[in-house]
Order: sequence, then C-alpha cells, then structure tokens
Amino acid sequence: MPLTGVEPARMNRKKGDKGFESPRPYKLTHQVVCINNINFQRKSVVGFVELTVFPTVANLNRIKLNSKQCRIYRVRINDLEAAFIYNDPTLEVCHSESKQRNLNYFSNAYAAAVSAVDPDAGNGELCIKVPSELWKHVDELKVLKIHINFSLDQPKGGLHFVVPSVEGSMAERGAHVFSCGYQNSTRFWFPCVDSYSELCTWKLEFTVDAAMVAVSNGDLVETVYTHDMRKKTFHYMLTIPTAASNISLAIGPFEILVDPYMHEVTHFCLPQLLPLLKHTTSYLHEVFEFYEEILTCRYPYSCFKTVFIDEAYVEVAAYASMSIFSTNLLHSAMIIDETPLTRRCLAQSLAQQFFGCFISRMSWSDEWVLKGISGYIYGLWMKKTFGVNEYRHWIKEELDRIVAYELKTGGVLLHPIFGGGKEKDNPASHLHFSIKHPHTLSWEYYTMFQCKAHLVMRLIENRISMEFMLQVFNKLLSLASTASSQKFQSHMWSQMLVSTSGFLKSISNVSGKDIQPLIKQWVDQSGVVKFYGSFAFNRKRNVLELEIKQDYTSPGTQKYVGPLKVTVQELDGSFNHTLQIEENSLKHDIPCHSKSRRNKKKKIPLMNGEEVDMDLSAMDADSPLLWIRIDPDMSVLRKVEFEQADFMWQYQLRYERDVVAQQESILALEKFPTPASRLALTDILEQEQCFYRVRMSACFCLAKIANSMVSTWTGPPAMKSLFTRMFCCKSCPNIVKTNNFMSFQSYFLQKTMPVAMALLRDVHNLCPKEVLTFILDLIKYNDNRKNKFSDNYYRAEMIDALANSVTPAVSVNNEVRTLDNLNPDVRLILEEITRFLNMEKLLPSYRHTITVSCLRAIRVLQKNGHVPSDPALFKSYAEYGHFVDIRIAALEAVVDYTKVDRSYEELQWLLNMIQDDPVPYVRHKILNMLTKNPPFTKNMESPLCNEALVDQLWKLMNSGTSHDWRLRCGAVDLYFTLFGLSRPSCLPLPELGLVLNLKEKKAVLNPTIIPEAVAVNQEAANNPSSHPQLVGFQNPFSSSQDEEEIDMDTVHDSQAFISHHLNMLERPSTPGLSKYRPASSRSALIPQHSTGCDSTPTTKPQWSLELARKGTGKEQSPLEMGMHPVASAPLSVFTKESTASKHSDHHHHHHHEHKKKKKKHKHKHKHKHKHDSKEKDKEPFTFSSPASGRSIRSPSLSD
Amino acid sequence: MAEAAATAGAGGSGTRSGSKQSTNPADNYHLARRRTLQVVVSSLLTEAGFESAEKASVETLTEMLQSYISEIGRSAKSYCEHTARTQPTLSDIVVTLVEMGFNVDTLPAYAKRSQRMVITAPPVTNQPVTPKALTAGQNRPHPPHIPSHFPEFPDPHTYIKTPTYREPVSDYQVLREKAASQRRDVERALTRFMAKTGETQSLFKDDVSTFPLIAARPFTIPYLTALLPSELEMQQMEETDSSEQDEQTDTENLALHISMEDSGAEKENTSVLQQNPSLSGSRNGEENIIDNPYLRPVKKPKIRRKKSLS
Repeated sequence: MPLTGVEPARMNRKKGDKGFESPRPYKLTHQVVCINNINFQRKSVVGFVELTVFPTVANLNRIKLNSKQCRIYRVRINDLEAAFIYNDPTLEVCHSESKQRNLNYFSNAYAAAVSAVDPDAGNGELCIKVPSELWKHVDELKVLKIHINFSLDQPKGGLHFVVPSVEGSMAERGAHVFSCGYQNSTRFWFPCVDSYSELCTWKLEFTVDAAMVAVSNGDLVETVYTHDMRKKTFHYMLTIPTAASNISLAIGPFEILVDPYMHEVTHFCLPQLLPLLKHTTSYLHEVFEFYEEILTCRYPYSCFKTVFIDEAYVEVAAYASMSIFSTNLLHSAMIIDETPLTRRCLAQSLAQQFFGCFISRMSWSDEWVLKGISGYIYGLWMKKTFGVNEYRHWIKEELDRIVAYELKTGGVLLHPIFGGGKEKDNPASHLHFSIKHPHTLSWEYYTMFQCKAHLVMRLIENRISMEFMLQVFNKLLSLASTASSQKFQSHMWSQMLVSTSGFLKSISNVSGKDIQPLIKQWVDQSGVVKFYGSFAFNRKRNVLELEIKQDYTSPGTQKYVGPLKVTVQELDGSFNHTLQIEENSLKHDIPCHSKSRRNKKKKIPLMNGEEVDMDLSAMDADSPLLWIRIDPDMSVLRKVEFEQADFMWQYQLRYERDVVAQQESILALEKFPTPASRLALTDILEQEQCFYRVRMSACFCLAKIANSMVSTWTGPPAMKSLFTRMFCCKSCPNIVKTNNFMSFQSYFLQKTMPVAMALLRDVHNLCPKEVLTFILDLIKYNDNRKNKFSDNYYRAEMIDALANSVTPAVSVNNEVRTLDNLNPDVRLILEEITRFLNMEKLLPSYRHTITVSCLRAIRVLQKNGHVPSDPALFKSYAEYGHFVDIRIAALEAVVDYTKVDRSYEELQWLLNMIQDDPVPYVRHKILNMLTKNPPFTKNMESPLCNEALVDQLWKLMNSGTSHDWRLRCGAVDLYFTLFGLSRPSCLPLPELGLVLNLKEKKAVLNPTIIPEAVAVNQEAANNPSSHPQLVGFQNPFSSSQDEEEIDMDTVHDSQAFISHHLNMLERPSTPGLSKYRPASSRSALIPQHSTGCDSTPTTKPQWSLELARKGTGKEQSPLEMGMHPVASAPLSVFTKESTASKHSDHHHHHHHEHKKKKKKHKHKHKHKHKHDSKEKDKEPFTFSSPASGRSIRSPSLSD
Repeated sequence: MAEAAATAGAGGSGTRSGSKQSTNPADNYHLARRRTLQVVVSSLLTEAGFESAEKASVETLTEMLQSYISEIGRSAKSYCEHTARTQPTLSDIVVTLVEMGFNVDTLPAYAKRSQRMVITAPPVTNQPVTPKALTAGQNRPHPPHIPSHFPEFPDPHTYIKTPTYREPVSDYQVLREKAASQRRDVERALTRFMAKTGETQSLFKDDVSTFPLIAARPFTIPYLTALLPSELEMQQMEETDSSEQDEQTDTENLALHISMEDSGAEKENTSVLQQNPSLSGSRNGEENIIDNPYLRPVKKPKIRRKKSLS
C-alpha cells in the first residue's frame, strides 16, 4: 500500500513544528556515486550509484527516485534484479499534438508535471519495484541497497562539457566538465533523491585521465592509479549528511593552488591561469575569518575547494564544501573594477556554504530562510569590507529593485503555503507561472525572491537586534553540527534542515520578541508598500502637519499598518518621530522643537552629532524645517514619494550624512532645474569626503538639469571645468593628466563624468561640439604608461561616452546611409571606434571590455541612422568562440535589431541559437534579452507574430528545453511577453473547428469512454478484488468542477491534467500491465509482477487503462511492439460508436450556444476536457516523447 | 736578361692576379704584361736579325717566354719557402736557373752585350689605390703598454663620439601632444596594415576601406586572451609596481614556490617528496606542515584479483 505511506507524510510536511516528516516511505542514509568512465570526446559518462535505504513503512514495494537524462541499464536491490519504470512528464509538458496554445494551460500543466516528479512530494521519474523476495525483509524495515548502473550520453543539462577544438590530448586542450543547474538539478547526472531535504553521507569516486583532477564534495581520501597507470581514481568521502542537490563535480586539467593562509582550502583553475588564481583567492581567508567570527562557528566542513571553470552556468554555485565559479571572475592585480565584484562572489558563495549547503531546507517554501540568512550575512560582510556607505547604498539598490519588480509584476511571495491544492487558492495568481516549485519559477522572479529574502532578514534584525540575530544563526548551526556528527542516527539529521517555523521559533526563543506581524506582512504575504507623503507647516501651532497616503490597490502593493519612523531636521537639530500608521489616519501632527526660528550664527546640529554652518538664506523664513525623511532606516519594504521644496532637497543633499538620503535628494532634484540645484550638485561633486557613488549619480543628475536649463545655462558645459580642475594638467587644461588610478574614488568619478557629460544637449538637441571635442581629447591624450592599473574599463567608458553623445541623424526621406553623407562628428567617433576595435584584436583588453563598448556604440550609431542598420557584424561577434561578454553584447545588438527592424530572419537566427548554442548561459541570456526587449508584445500588431512562431516557441518551452529548468522558464517568460496568458491573437480562433479537427484525428485512434469500460471489465475479470461499480465511472474532477466554475476554461484542463499525473505517479505503477504482456517476455525485469500489484486495491480505476497504456508505452520493448495490434483491436470496435456519440453531443452544444451564453464555457470546457483525456490516452501509442524513447531501450539493454 | 728577370717577378705575381680574373684591373694588367712580353720577343727577334715574323710565331714565342719566366718564379718561390723565408733572394734565383740548366755565368755578359735593344718600360698605369678612408683627426699612437707591432688604432671617427645637443622639448603640452599623436599614428598604421592583410568587415556596404574593421575571429579558448594580461601590460606592471609591491610579491613568490613544488611533487613518487621538505625547509619551516590531499602522491593500485568497487 504505497499510497498510505506517501499521503499522510505529505499532509504533515507543511507544519514542521515537531521535526521533519519525510515525504518518502524510506530514509536514505548513504549513497555511493561511482563514475568510472568519462569520455570527453563523446561527452559521455558511465557509472553506478548505490543507495542505502531504510524503509519506514512496512509494505514498501515501490521506491521512487529522481533521474533525468540518464540511461539506466540495470537496477538491483540487495543483489536482486528489480524492475523499474522511467517516466518523466516534464520532457514534454503538453502533448505535442495538442493544439492548445495558451500559456495558462501550459503553466498549469507544467506545474503538474513538475510536481509529478517532485521528490518533496515523494515522487520521482524512476520508479523501482522492490522484488517480492525482499518483501519480508522490507516488512522488518531492514536495509535495502539499491544499485543502479547508468550512463549519460551528451548531456544537455546537469553536466556541462567544455572541449576546445584544438590539437593535443584532452588535458592539453583544457577540456573540462562540471555539474551545473538551477536549484536541485543533480538528477540530471546521476539517479538520486534530488531533494534538499533528504540528507545522507556520501562516497564519491571518479576515475579520470591521469592528467586530470576530479574535484568533488568532502574529503579526498586517496588517489589511486588504475592498473594500466593511465588513469587515476579520486576517492571522496563526505561524512556530513548532505542532500543530493548539493553534490557537485568538476573534472579538468586543473592547476592546483593550496591556499597559503589556510592549508585545508584548495583552489583550482584552468591551465595558464594560476597567477590570476593566486591573486584572486589571496583575499578569501579574510572572508572565512569574518563569517567564523560573526557566527561564532567554525566552517562546518573539513575542507573547502574553489574551482574556476569556463562556460559557467552561473557565476557562483555553492555546493557542499566546494564552490564552482566562472573563470571570468579571475583577475590580476591590475584590474580595479572586477576586484570588488569577484570578492563579492567569493563571499556570497561562502555564506551559502553555511546556509544552503551545510544547513539545508525542509521544503521549497522554506527556501527564503536560507537565501535570507546567507544574503544577510553576506550583507554584514559587505558592511565590514566596503563600509557602511556601500552597505546602505546596496540595501537601497536592492530595495529599489524589489519594489520596482513587485510593482511591475504584482508581488513576490517568500513563504508560499499551498492549502488543499486548489488552484483557486493559488497565492500567485497574478503571475504567469506557478511558484509552487523552484523549477517553474521565472529566473527573474527567483533573483528577486533572493533579494527580498535578505531584505526581510534585515527587517527582522531591525526588530530583534543583530546580536540576537547572530545568536539564532549560531543556534541553527550548532544544532546542525551536533546532528551531523551523529553518524549512525539518521533521524537526527533532520536537525540540519531549516524550516520557516523552526526558524521563527528560534527567534522567539532567543529574543523573546514576537515578530509574527512582521512575518505575516513580508513573508506570508506578497507586495510592497507605496507611500505618498506631503506636509505643511503650521506656524501658529509650531507643528508639522504630515500627510502620508498609501496606495494599496495597485498590483504588487499591500497595506501597511504599524510604526513608521520620520526624521525631521530642524534648525535646532534632527529629531526622530515614530508615527503609527493606521487604517484611517492620514494626517500626523509633529510638534517642532525649534522655537527660535533664525538664531543667527548658530551651528546646526545634525543627526550624527556633527554641527555645521549652513547658509540658511535659501530657506523659508517662517519655517524651521530643513528637510524631512520618511522611513530613513528602510525598515519597511516601500517606495516613498515625498514632496518637499527644492531648497529642502538641496539642504538634504548637502548636509544629510546618510548616502541613501543623498541619493534620494539627487533623484528628487531632477525635477528642479534651477541654478541652486546646479550649485548643490556641483558642490557634492567636488566634495572629496562624499561617497563616490553619490557623486557618480550627481553627475547624471547634473547633466539632466543642464539639459532642462539649456536656454538659461551660463558658462562652459556642465562638469567640464570641474573635470578639468580635477583631472587635467595645470599648465595645459585641455590635456588630461597621465593616468593614476591609485585613488579609486576619483578613478570612478573620472570614468563617469565624461559619460554623463556626453548626455548634455544644446538648444538644437545636439551634443555640444565642445563636449565631443573634449571627450575625443580625453581619448587622444589618454596615457597609461605610468599607471599601476589597467585602464581598459576607463577606455571602455570613454567609448560609452562617445556613444552617449550620438543624436539621431537628420535624414531626408529614408535616404540610404553612405559614407558621403556621414556627419563629420560621427566620422570622428567612428574613427575612434574603428581604431579601438582593431587594436583589441592585437592587444586585447581584460574581459574585452573595449570590444563590448565598441559593439554597443556601433549599434547606437546604427539605431540613430548614421550607419546602415545591419546585424551581420554583430552576428559574427555572437558566434561561439568569442569571449562571453562580447557574445552577449553582440546578441543584445541583434535582439535590438530584431525589434527595430522587425526582422523575422534575425528572430529565427536567435531562436536557433537558443536551441543549439553550446553555452547554457548564452541561451538563457538570449531569452532573457528577448524578454526584456521583445520584438513585439501581446497588445501589438506585428508582422513577426504568426502561427509558425507561436508553434516554434511553444515547442521550445514544451519539449525543447526540458534539460534546463532555467531555460524553460525563460522560454515561458518570453512566450508571456509576446503573447500573454491567453491564446495568442495571431492564431486562427474558432475553437469549435479545432475541436472537430481534433476529433477526427482522435476518433480513429482512441475513443475515451467505452474502452475504459472494457478495460475495467477486463480488469475486473482478471482481478477479482477490483470494484465492479467503477465501470463507466466518470472523472470526478472534471464533472464536479464544471459545476463550480464556469469562467476559467483552462483551469479545468489543468486540473484534469494534474490529477491525472498525480494519480498516475502515486499509484502502483501498472495494474493492467500484465494483461498485455506475454508472461514469458519480461519475467526477469518485473518478476512476479501481477501478484504484487494487482492485489493493491485501486481507488480510481478509471485511470487504470491509461496507466496500463502508459506503462506499456513507457516500457515497451521491441518484443512487445507487436502486441499492440492485438491490444487495440477490440478498441476499434468501439471507435465508431464513440465518434457518433461525440458528434451528437457536439451538435447539441452547438445549439445551446446561442441560447445560453452563460453556459457556453462550461460546455466548451467539458469538450475540451474530454479531448484532453483522449489525448492522454493516445499518448502511449505515439512514442514521441524522448522519455519513452529512452526507456524503451533501457530494459532491453540490461538483458 | 735583367728585364726578363724583372718581368719574371712581375709575371709570377701577374699569373696569380690573373688567375683570379675577376676584376677588370687584373684583366688590364694581364693584357699589358702580354704586350710587354711581345715587345721583348720582337726586340730579341730583331736583335737576332729577323726582319719580320708571323703573328702566330711571335705568339708562340711569347707563350714560351712566359712559361719560362713563370717557371723561374715558381721554382724560386719554392726554394725560398723551402728555407722558411717569404721573399726570394738572389741565390734562390740562381739555384733555380742552375736547376733549369741555365749557365748563370753567361748572364752578365749577355746583359752587357753591345747590340742589345733597350725597350722602354711599359707605361705604369697608376695603381688604382683604394682611396684612403676618411680620416678624421689623428690616429692615436699606441699607449706604452701595447707593443708597437700591434695594429694601429682605427680611425678616430669609428670610436670617438661627439655629443651634440639640441634644446630638449621641455614644453609639457608639446610632449604630450607628440606622444599622443605618435601613438595614434602607430596604432592607426598598424591596424590599417592588419586590416589590409587580413579579412575585414565593414559598416558601410558601399565602402570597405574607410573604416576597415579587422574581422572577428573566434578563439578556441576565448578566456585566455580575455583574462590574461598582455605581455605589454605585464612589463608595465613590473616597471611601475616594483617598489610598492615588494612585500606582496615576496609572499606571492613564496606561494608560487609552494605550489610549483607541490605540483611537481605530485607527479614525482614518494622518495622525491620526502626530500622536498629538507630542501624547502631551510627557507620556510611552515611548508612542512602543509598536508593537502591534492598534494599527496598518487597511490599505486593494489594488486588484487578482483576490483571490489569499480
């Protein structure tokens, strides 16, 4: 009775209060992964796994594991051959012949397919039957050892092979392979329980070429040569219980560097990059020290490995005791810009080692805790390393991002709870994808999810103090490490899993504070708060009347009730007030402290205790208010639009010491193009003590203000004299000093100022000649010979500046762009670009930053009509073999071209690349860029929008991207952007015709109703225990729900689909299987099948036929193919009958349609549903899905 | 006969120079000698009373005379070299003549015969002396410690330098201007050259030469060129940061040393590894402690009848 084992567990899972209850009827304690052959030439892997499993229920006879892509040769349990079924509904989400093209339908079907194999629901693609000989053994709950031989051939996901096509052995060529993927993707390269909640100890063995190194999790126990001495085997042991999803592998001819500060840390990089590796990792020990200190906990693993590989899936991927990085993070000491970014990546990965790898999660809905904690401690590291300003700036940036995203898409939910499984309760109905599984999530949503998670952690910190926060983390870690050392008590291991409730409980235990309202607001609920604030000063009462409104009706917003901090800077000092935001109170009276309004010659105290002199002449003589800030500590996830006078913003910019306040005032000043604003911004620019990022954004604001004031602007172009003063020679002001980037702040300012200046426009809306000459001179006199640092980023920004100076060409009636009518300024720009781009070929810059900028600039010239628009150049740079940054820049240009020129050809070219490019990141990025800059959107008429494109994209997300979750979700995003949720408008609409068509096709193959009856009858005959009442039973889901809801036609389909799949996977695999099978043919594979399965009472036998078919289909061996005519022969008898009945039924509806508009949907729906179920019935006969194709082979191979 | 002897020397050297027959003056010289010999033969014939002679017979006689004189010269040289000298003396000639069966005693009488005809010496064309190389100043005499037979000093101009000064460009602006335009010109010329010699791409369909872009070529290993600093930059780095980064490079070198030794050690077998600590230990004691599993030697396979796992 496997059902009883699975279902209660699933029910209880949600409430993690009293420990963890596994969704599986067994406990995995140890797993061996042995890969004994890796062929780089063929990109194949051969190996086996052995799982040590303890049953937790007596009558366990099915074991479900995860496995994708792998070809499974043989499964043995305790040395007995075991039968298995391989079924992966995610390979093809909707059936290929389905004419459904609406995204709602797809998303539901996809979510259903994913949960049908979701290990957290006790499911899996691979279902292994426990041989009957072992049943007794199982009933005693004794150990089972499942041994699976598998191979992988040309994996498209999970493992990525990089094999450069040069001469030499694989090691000389720098060929390498590494595991990759989004969330739990380990099933792509070996069979396992691919869940973050199933922990076990590991033994990992990899036999590789003697010149290669295999890096994996845990301790390298020994390395042994094979007998022919040409290969070596790396033996790893991971004694800390770890989830399969945190297992990783990297094999290549790596150069090895033992960290000089920490000998248990080893770094690996590709050949020739050792000097870079040395420099890049020289900082890592400080990160270690920091985390260990704040967490008061040793790094949990006995060793740590960093591997830098090419063609990385993501820049940083953290796995148990090792992290895989993109090789492009490596840099030399000469590179400024990359250094902080790389260090951030290192710190991020290390934070995830503690929370994410060592401490894992109970379920997907607890993911936010891990992401939140790791993001939060990473933030603490940022604060310590880069300073408070950088930290606050980062928090502000992240806050702005999440706010913008939520307002755009309608909310990010950190802790989704799925009660009852009804779609109506779907907490994320505003989204075009399901948030029930990580694998259905849009990548952008997931990044925003992580962003929100760490911001919420910070809110919790604000509430309970950092000290308590760190104590909670420490508690989690020490619990986990105690549990991890319990080698043989696997039930203790669940202490290493974190759950939302467990985390909250820890918080309340440690801090004694109730943070439930906070959790409810930000974790259990999606949306951000949108404040509008304005004020008036009541002179009589000396009171500040503050009005704070909220918008909680727009999508992505929520209502905020609770305390809100307001800081008022008055003449006498800065005062904090805490307002209570309540349902109906909009106005708040805040008494002012400053009685003496204008006390001359008095210094004004600031928030931080500093006292400064201010020129108060600008302010309103009646009011003591200098500026007002709402929620200065960012303790609410909010967007604030606050109105105050321009001089107040200017005071705020000049005198408020908080970088966030400065940033906000810069943003606000854009709306006040006055000489006073100009002065305030210029002063900030000149102020050395001011945070460099603030100064950088002041540059852009100044450019905007200058453009708004163009008619009244006096003096040289904005920033020019400033730049001259700061960076040019004293004796000759038109020549820039030779580069010296020792001071990073001024380096960044020097880089940014020209870019902002290039945005200046004169009265004719052209970039002033003076500015262009100035930038060209900067390029001309750039001299880096005496500089300790590389100037590649600086030069790249100069090209960006040139691009910024380009304005649309004055064109007479679409004349063809030729050299002769080229604008002389553009000619100069083009000359520079040509020279830079050509020099890059001879002396390439770091990460080819200059090429990237040149390509962007060329696209700008094309777009503005100076140069003929042509994607050929970009296409050549987008080819495989160029550095990834160049490719992305070139592809971005092609995407833009596709949009502007509405080129079907380029769109096809891009789509082909999405399908065929060897680098997963590039494919993902193309989809991402197409989504960001779509050739057309759902509300647009476009010649590109046609049926073929719909089909193509549909196919891409339906089956073409099954090997990469991230890619599939990207395709879904694109489909949504192009066509929206419902049926694409470019498709021929009449649904009824469609039904008829479908029917014609179907009718021949597969009738629905009657064969079921037959099957059940047959089954009943074969199997006395099945209930006779089930004959002719209708699908309870569809019928009951048709009654309830009539408007959403797609939901029904998906419901049916979900239930279908769920049933299919939860059920004992194939009650009807034995019927169609000659007893002799497969006895070795499924020994004594019938006795075991058919005795199981079937609760919903109407599915049994499908299952039977599915079963046969999936397991079809060539031998059995011949059986089908026999099986289908009786069916054909009923075909006509059913067609006829269908027909009449249909006519019936047709009539009603005119009369009862209301009922239309319902009926239509019923129809569709029937057809869908027919489709599914048909499925086993088609063998179109790769899963079936593969599994057809697998059993025969094992013979 | 005195002339004959005199011409013998000249003939000897003449044949030698004639044998080269490479330069025009030598050819001339050969012809002149031949003509002189013909004059000699003719005068001897006149002396002997011939009125006239056929050209062929004169030629034959000339040939004979030349051979004879050449033989005298050759033999005389042999004798002189035989006695380890370089210059033939009178006695060498005498011995030669004796050896050739010539009665030497008759020679003075013959030379003083009355009817002898005196032929004028052939017009000596000025030896085309190689013009003396430009002399600038006086050759320096040998300093006392150099023996005088050593070759003279070369002309002073070959080793004496005369520094000339032009007013250096001290104007910063001009300097920068110059450096900038120079670099720009070099870059432009170089890239144009590269563009001319290789494939190009163009932004304008109708014009491929004004803004030639060197065609994009994919690399087999793109990250190497993208990440590794170019040699130029490396060089620059060494120049600029030698002072500031001393400490750092020291530690880095140490690390480098470790890893090099380590990666080396990995390939070696155990015995070498055991020597290593003693080598490096003198430099840094800490290295002994490093026990990283990736640095341990690879084990030899155990001889087993059956592999247990794989």
